Amino acid sequence: MKLPNLRGRVAWVFDEDDYDIDRIVGVRNIKITDVKELAALAMADRDPNFASSVRRGDLLIGGRNFGYGHPHYPAMRAMRHLGIAGVVAESFAPGFFRGEISMGFPLITCPGILANVQRGDELEVDYSTDRVRCINHGTSLPTLPLSSAERRTLEAGGLIPYLKHRLGRSTGVAP
Amino acid sequence: MTEKILARASGRDFVQPGDEIEARPDFVISYDFPGYTDVFFREAREEFGVERVDTPERFVLFIDHMVPAATPKEEELHKGTRSWGAEQGVPVHERRGIGHQVSAELGYATPGAFVVHFDGHVSQLGAFGTYAFGARKGVLEAYVSPTLALAVPPTVKIIITGALRPGVMARDVFHHLVRVMGPSSCAFRAVELAGPVIDAMEIEGRQTICGQAMFLGANTMLVAPDARTLAYTKGRAKLDLAPVYPDEDAVYERVVTVDVSDLEPIIVIPPSPANTRNLQDHLGIEVHSGYLGSCASGRLEDLRIAAEVLRGRQVKAGFQLHVVPTSQAIMAQAAREGLIETLVEAGAFVSSPSCDYCYGRIATMADGQRAVSTGTLNTPGRMGSVDSEIYICNAAVVAASAIEGRIADPRSYLPGDTA
Repeated sequence: MKLPNLRGRVAWVFDEDDYDIDRIVGVRNIKITDVKELAALAMADRDPNFASSVRRGDLLIGGRNFGYGHPHYPAMRAMRHLGIAGVVAESFAPGFFRGEISMGFPLITCPGILANVQRGDELEVDYSTDRVRCINHGTSLPTLPLSSAERRTLEAGGLIPYLKHRLGRSTGVAP
Repeated sequence: MTEKILARASGRDFVQPGDEIEARPDFVISYDFPGYTDVFFREAREEFGVERVDTPERFVLFIDHMVPAATPKEEELHKGTRSWGAEQGVPVHERRGIGHQVSAELGYATPGAFVVHFDGHVSQLGAFGTYAFGARKGVLEAYVSPTLALAVPPTVKIIITGALRPGVMARDVFHHLVRVMGPSSCAFRAVELAGPVIDAMEIEGRQTICGQAMFLGANTMLVAPDARTLAYTKGRAKLDLAPVYPDEDAVYERVVTVDVSDLEPIIVIPPSPANTRNLQDHLGIEVHSGYLGSCASGRLEDLRIAAEVLRGRQVKAGFQLHVVPTSQAIMAQAAREGLIETLVEAGAFVSSPSCDYCYGRIATMADGQRAVSTGTLNTPGRMGSVDSEIYICNAAVVAASAIEGRIADPRSYLPGDTA
């Protein structure tokens, strides 16, 4: 199976380097397990209308070393629930990267992205050419390729379906 | 070193950076935590039909968070962990200390071994020449398959030269590396740590530095075994493996030399572990509590220097000083050395080992409070209210600040120093 391209608007630009993603729902809230509650809290202290402004397929933009710190899972669970389809960042902290790829959540490393997009821009992540295109500005930037295990994990929709396939316990998920 | 360890673990003659391999972990280490171990246990069985993990003696579980339990739900989690361990034949160690330290004491930090955990601070096993990394929820793979897929990382060698001044500790060295190299300077790399300062450093200091590797962006960090390492691991190592050393002509992506002769104690200011500053520039800030403990610090050298600072002195009235030795073995030794007595008499609240102080589960701060801490992280809210602040520093700084109720320089309390 080929990884489908992503297309969506930029729902938020995290322009700080070393951004600790626990701050998305607030560190005080990371023990909340109800995803609806988490989703309502996402970025609420920065923009109370954030949750309602997100459309399915929208993307987040991050700076360098996005996910630094102890990247717990609630922030991106909340974002996925709102419809966020992936994060395009200058670079990622490895723990965050590995953790979210295993959840089947696309993370795209794209040096230069921060200077080239604004909130609301329309982006396309093209996996066949390893590029991100900014539809509004007609610009395009190369992305760093995934390892084959990472790519297969995303293609399968996460670590569990990927491992099931790899271990020969396929549930109909294509390779 | 990384390449040799991963070559053996993946059954190959050699590997090089970028190679995608499936490596068999010698040990799979976890502590029980909701959303992690309980989920791994369930998913392994329900999603993968794995009734019994492959070679259970490779696995070990620690109960070090939520110790002691404060709610029935927490104790239920621990019960589930104990019964899973019993049914699988996997040892469960509880109340012996923070797992990353107890792993070393029990010999899981075998030089040359390949170890995975979900928590990245397991990198501190690198102090023993072990390749140990945190795969986050990806560690599930090790629960359902004998191997784990990973890409061989390039290695950055960091050589630390010079000599440490009095009152400057391993903790300062690590945060100085973040300052001079950058918080993502070693992203997706393995770091090999070497040089005269590391050679002269006790194992404990090496554990402190290696355990924080993630804050340089690194997958892990290792130190080549030396006489000190082998003396520690002799009789403890769980596996009979030949220790692995770097070749004379080993190829590194980068070699960085950092001289620490002039290094002063540092302080890491909120809100991020990326913010290393000189302690000198932040003296006098009022603080309300202090935490000396965690998997990063809280070992004998930390307790000894804190006792030295606090001997015959008193913690400022109203200041909460929490001292949490990293393991029971460390606590017992500290008691034998009289350190516990000194700390208690000075007014410290000394607790048995637990991870819970580090993330605000207990000793929780309220709005507007400020802590000095040897914990791992200073994100707002980590130790309580999001409107509280955490300043990370070495153990001596915590002790000195406890006396003054403000961020203080420990060197004036240490004998033989005029700073």
